[in-house]
Amino acid sequence: MEIWQAVCIALLYYISDSPWPVGVGYYVIQRPLVAGFLTGLVLGMPVEGTIIGATMNLIYLGHITAGGTMPGDMALAGYLGTGLALAAGLDVNAALALAVPLGLLGTIVWFTRMSVDSIFVHWADKYAEEGDIAKVGLMNWVPGQTLLLVIKVPAVIIAAVYGPDLVSAAIAFVGDNVLHALIVAGGMLPALGIALNLRSILKKATIPYFIVGFALVAYLGLDIIGVALFGVVMAAVSMQFMKKNEGGEGLV
Amino acid sequence: MKEEKALSKPEKQLTKKDLRKAFWTWQFFSHANYNYERLQAGAFAHAMGPIIKKLYDTKEDTVAALKRHLVFFNTAPNWGAVIHGIVIAMEEKRANGAEISDEAINSVKTGLMGPLAGLGDTLTQGTIIPLLLAIGISFGVEGSVFGPLFFLIVCPAVLVSIAYTMWMRGYYSGKDAVESMLSSGRLNEIISAAGILGCAVIGALIGQFVTFSTVFVVNVGQTAINLQADVFDPIMPKLLPLLLTVGLYKLLDRGKSPTFLMVAIIVVSFIGTFLGIL
Repeated sequence: MEIWQAVCIALLYYISDSPWPVGVGYYVIQRPLVAGFLTGLVLGMPVEGTIIGATMNLIYLGHITAGGTMPGDMALAGYLGTGLALAAGLDVNAALALAVPLGLLGTIVWFTRMSVDSIFVHWADKYAEEGDIAKVGLMNWVPGQTLLLVIKVPAVIIAAVYGPDLVSAAIAFVGDNVLHALIVAGGMLPALGIALNLRSILKKATIPYFIVGFALVAYLGLDIIGVALFGVVMAAVSMQFMKKNEGGEGLV
Repeated sequence: MKEEKALSKPEKQLTKKDLRKAFWTWQFFSHANYNYERLQAGAFAHAMGPIIKKLYDTKEDTVAALKRHLVFFNTAPNWGAVIHGIVIAMEEKRANGAEISDEAINSVKTGLMGPLAGLGDTLTQGTIIPLLLAIGISFGVEGSVFGPLFFLIVCPAVLVSIAYTMWMRGYYSGKDAVESMLSSGRLNEIISAAGILGCAVIGALIGQFVTFSTVFVVNVGQTAINLQADVFDPIMPKLLPLLLTVGLYKLLDRGKSPTFLMVAIIVVSFIGTFLGIL
């Protein structure tokens, strides 16, 4: 990998966690689907990058930060993981094996940033005491973003430049069994994200809809858009019943 | 005397431009300094900057307003934007002499941030994102760059529209309207409908994206029974992925942490591989 490519990947990794993409970095730019595509563009392999990113994203499908939990840094897996996999010429399955350890490693960044950023609110307090509106605003992004740049960018540049050789060597060294185990884990891990997500939205009353969604895929092989259409119809019908129960305009 | 005062001090009126400036500050910087101590406190004060500047002339009032908005705050950045709208309306009234105490403003913020965070978790993280993401991923795994491009364009458009609408609605219809919306059936209807769609999609994700099967073969006398093909598949397709997800759901319910379960899955994969089961 060229140095400029490593720098681009590291900067993308920073940007995904920064305010600059209209504040939707976490929701959009951090997703491995997007990360894989952008990293692929940088390395001149957008299609291969997209396949790797989309596959990695399965692990983080139900990624949710409710309650402050952080089950892995999907952006580090998405940007650095895809970069390493493409540069080392790994196939999709081996790339998936990289996603898990990188994701766990990345949580260190999250904890560091959430802790250290607490200091900067006190700096804002000081400027509030002076009535300095502009500086209170600056304290909301200048120190925190400088910190993020410092802890994210250099480390990822080094890993992206020197990583591919190490990764190829490591994959060759650990052998087929370890790789197979990581692929098995990669297949099971989406279930964790999905279970986390279910915890936030599943209620007794919605269990039947959950089963319908599963059955439409398991038995009929519908794709997601097909299931979503059924979901919209079921939601609309149920809303009409709710209205009817309130005495408004109902079905009958 | 009073009339004279009113004449010398014209009503302070925020313009749409002020509202927009504050909105975009929040939209961009809501998590710029996210931290354990006060979460989005700095971002709230940051976003209120243009409003405070316009409404308060004296240093004393400015200091008080900045400190008022540097307290603990945390909500869903998009749905929760309705809170900022309401608070701006309250600040505007206060600047024009209405009796609105610090406590009143604070209780609106703390009272609404929890329910709206819950709404955001259900609708944004629980329904909208998994749905759009699943569409993007299903194209992406086939090698179509339409997948990521679709997600890259549609998801921000949806999220920013929600935030902008909530922000303006909060300002124009105020606290009472939002509270009545939160308590009336209307919002519950929307949440239940989204829950139905979300649960159907999540059920589908299990069928489509979780891979979990066994290669275990039991020898009973002369016949070899392939556990997957001869036992599980006839019962139900995708049985093991479903059981795995439900099992993880139960474990999370019992308080096991996601990180612990992640490590457990990896350990199980290794043990299963070396025993020749998985």
